[in-house]
Amino acid sequence: MTTQRDRVDQAIRRAVETALPQINGIDFDAALTSDVGLDSVQVMDLVMEIEDELDISVPVEVLAEVQTLNQLGERLRAMIRGSSR
Amino acid sequence: MSLFDKFAPLATARADLGAEGTPPVATPIEDIVSAAEGVIDGKRVILAGTNNYLGLTLDPDVVASARQALEHFGTGTTGSRMANGSYDAHSALESELAAAFGWPSAMLFSTGYQANLASIATLAGKNDFLLLDSDSHASIYDGAKLGNAQTVIFRHNDPENLDRRLSRLGTDASRALIVIEGLYSMLGDQPPLAEFIEVKKRHNAWLLLDEAHSFGVFGDTGLGLAEQAGLLADVDFVVGTFSKSLGGIGGFCTSPHPQLELLRLAARPYIFTASPSPAVIASTRTALAKLLAGTELRARLWENTHRLYRALGELGYRLGSDKPGPVAAIILPDRASALAHWKGLLANGVYTNLMVPPATPKGLNLLRISLSAAHTPEHIDRIVEAFGEVRKAA
Repeated sequence: MTTQRDRVDQAIRRAVETALPQINGIDFDAALTSDVGLDSVQVMDLVMEIEDELDISVPVEVLAEVQTLNQLGERLRAMIRGSSR
Repeated sequence: MSLFDKFAPLATARADLGAEGTPPVATPIEDIVSAAEGVIDGKRVILAGTNNYLGLTLDPDVVASARQALEHFGTGTTGSRMANGSYDAHSALESELAAAFGWPSAMLFSTGYQANLASIATLAGKNDFLLLDSDSHASIYDGAKLGNAQTVIFRHNDPENLDRRLSRLGTDASRALIVIEGLYSMLGDQPPLAEFIEVKKRHNAWLLLDEAHSFGVFGDTGLGLAEQAGLLADVDFVVGTFSKSLGGIGGFCTSPHPQLELLRLAARPYIFTASPSPAVIASTRTALAKLLAGTELRARLWENTHRLYRALGELGYRLGSDKPGPVAAIILPDRASALAHWKGLLANGVYTNLMVPPATPKGLNLLRISLSAAHTPEHIDRIVEAFGEVRKAA
């Protein structure tokens, strides 16, 4: 059975592969800007891809609060839980 | 630890552009010879990297009106519109702008940046939604940051992607403000306006169209892309600037909704700043009258545009937009090649703009040319010849 965690992580993986094909290996604990070296435009492209994968809208305010893919995943799961209540 | 540590990556990025020679960022322009020519590094060059689309900055009537206002009213208003800086001329320009659009209201701002900041941050409040095109200008993003609305980004020029995001809002979409631009200044591309309006209507949302780069360029009377498309009646707010086609500095927001006037009481970037100086208001009024009255300048701008697009296409350059427009963004394979082009063109007497990530969409390295009605066909041919020289040297 696919858990919500699996579903969100898979969506993130697919989004990274599509939006950032140049990234080798996905580290969910790496800081997207300082460790991975993404600029703000690349982070936004990645999030738009994730939005399409999960069919949710991620407010830009959320982006300012997360640094890693794990933190983003947490926020996404909270948003999905909130919207399904 | 220092407050300045966080800027280290910016310092590195600037250093990567080369420490020697004329800087490609904040290039010092030593003198202005005409609306189309200037002096950089002691050498006379064609200005192909300004936003002087109609070439009105040195128009004798425009300059004379500014001089007259400067001598009569002085150098500045020394106060805000709300407090002590509201002159008859500010209201007159607002009336003239509103009348041009056939709408009841228009508001002036001290810069185009503040026009977006004020309009976007104030129109979309705490329980409202902002939907921004991903290629939006910084002033649009900053307007979202200043306000309290929930902000969602949709894919550039993609009405279907916007549609999906509005669908997720359900009936809340009636409190959503969509923001798009009439001409995107990085790639020089235009939005599919009719399709966006269809989506807006379907969800009962609101549309703000930023015509900063398209005002004075498109439409029978130069009002912008919405006028050209015959869709002005379907737009809720138009934001524009005085610093491009009108050759001054300042900005405006106009709307068919008379309640726009209420923003004067709530928009912080309008309330808490000094009003535009009398000279700039005077020059803008004269420039606006010229923009609205004549098609000759626009015709010249478009002749230059088509001439350049055709020639660059023949040279095999890839441009950011298939549709010709006053911004020609040449896509180059990497930063080094873009920088080499910028330097080579300057060495051959042509000043352009170098645009590199993260300021550009999709990580593109661009060389941007902005055309002007002040350019002659000979100027355009010299720009094209300079490209030929750069290619030969590569």
